[in-house]
Amino acid sequence: MPRHVSAAARARRALLFDSVAAVVLAALALSLAAGLGVIGFFGLPLLIVLLLWIGIERLVRLRRPPRP
Amino acid sequence: MTRDPRPRVEPATVRPRRPLPPAVPPPWRRARRIALIATLICLVPAGISFLRTMTEPHNVRFGVASVEWMRSHGGNGIVSQIEDWYYTLTAPSKGGPPLRSLPRVGIAERSSSSSNGGAQLPPRIKPLIHPPLPGEGVWKPAAANAASPPPVLVTTFRSDPEYPQFVAGVAWIDSARTQLAYVPGIDEPPSIEHRGPAEVPPSKRRRLAATFNGGFPLETSNAGLVYRGQTIATMVNGIATLVEYRDGRIDIVRWEHGPNPSKHVWFAKQNLPPIIYGGHLNPDLSDGPEWGATVNNAVRVWRSGLGVDRHGNLIYAVANYQTVGSLAEILRRAGAVRALELDINEDWVSFNTYRGPGARDPSSLLPEIYRPADRYLTPDERDFFAVYVKGGW
Repeated sequence: MPRHVSAAARARRALLFDSVAAVVLAALALSLAAGLGVIGFFGLPLLIVLLLWIGIERLVRLRRPPRP
Repeated sequence: MTRDPRPRVEPATVRPRRPLPPAVPPPWRRARRIALIATLICLVPAGISFLRTMTEPHNVRFGVASVEWMRSHGGNGIVSQIEDWYYTLTAPSKGGPPLRSLPRVGIAERSSSSSNGGAQLPPRIKPLIHPPLPGEGVWKPAAANAASPPPVLVTTFRSDPEYPQFVAGVAWIDSARTQLAYVPGIDEPPSIEHRGPAEVPPSKRRRLAATFNGGFPLETSNAGLVYRGQTIATMVNGIATLVEYRDGRIDIVRWEHGPNPSKHVWFAKQNLPPIIYGGHLNPDLSDGPEWGATVNNAVRVWRSGLGVDRHGNLIYAVANYQTVGSLAEILRRAGAVRALELDINEDWVSFNTYRGPGARDPSSLLPEIYRPADRYLTPDERDFFAVYVKGGW
């Protein structure tokens, strides 16, 4: 293992790990759900909520006065 | 003192820098990221399936088609629960101003409540609310030039004294003079050979007297279907079954013959337990698991049902704001001794008659029926029944 890992590399590793976790989670949801109708029913509102959350957070961060 | 020859540099205003985001986001943000990616992955197959369904030809509204997609993709329980809440919240209140007239159905004012030409015509339906309105419960021919006695009669009556504004539409079909045909729809039943045109074949419209909705989809009813002598879905004991035998006889029975029909059965479609049997209402018309994954039996919605009278003639009933119990009461009052429930909800109930040969001038049994009277003259998603006059008009 390298002694020094750059911040960018750590971010990439975290993204990779999160993506794998998301794939596993999605596979689990798709196999356990009664059908794609159930996936759509819960998935679409969840997607909207998450996107809104991220969007609002970005907006707040942009409007916040920068720290000197 | 020598002067510094270098140009003087004014100190730049120090612009505060935004802090860089941390290399690895905090755990809650990573959890959100995982949820977002997982949701997107899940929605890809769901979206493809939804779009494929929506781009197929259909003749219902986008909203209804979406709900049907959800129903047929594992969401039936969710849809039924939401419908339950909606219909419970929008339930009609009792009473209200009395009606002054009934919707005009049929083509003539002459009463057909007698024996005519040797045929057993049904007696007038006794009105429940007094004084009766003009024509209430009086059978009228559905078509203008139908031979005498008319093969299809129609009437309306107020079906519930507690709700004096509810009007039920009822049709009587002479089994001796008509032939019932089951027509598969574009989507329902899902697996069938020889699906056909999913509409009344133009070659048979000359003899067409009526069409009506065919009952729950197989996925919702979890019951059986026999088509042209072949088992399409396994028959279930105890379920109300509309049967056509190879000799042309039609009956409604409680199925007790196991998963496979005898060779005498040409057609059979099952839908929920019987609502009337032996002239008596099913004592379990209140809700229970035997009624399948559908809205609560006590919820008031558009409901339709089919029965047979003691002479073997068919009786169809449809009305808005009905529970299973009140629908059964309508059918019993109209003379049914055995009956089953057919489709529910405004998008699926239909009873159409044709005032002239060649499916000319179609009309709905009740003017409030949402689907147009020419439904089934173009391809339809759902299966349905066509009533043909034997030997023509």
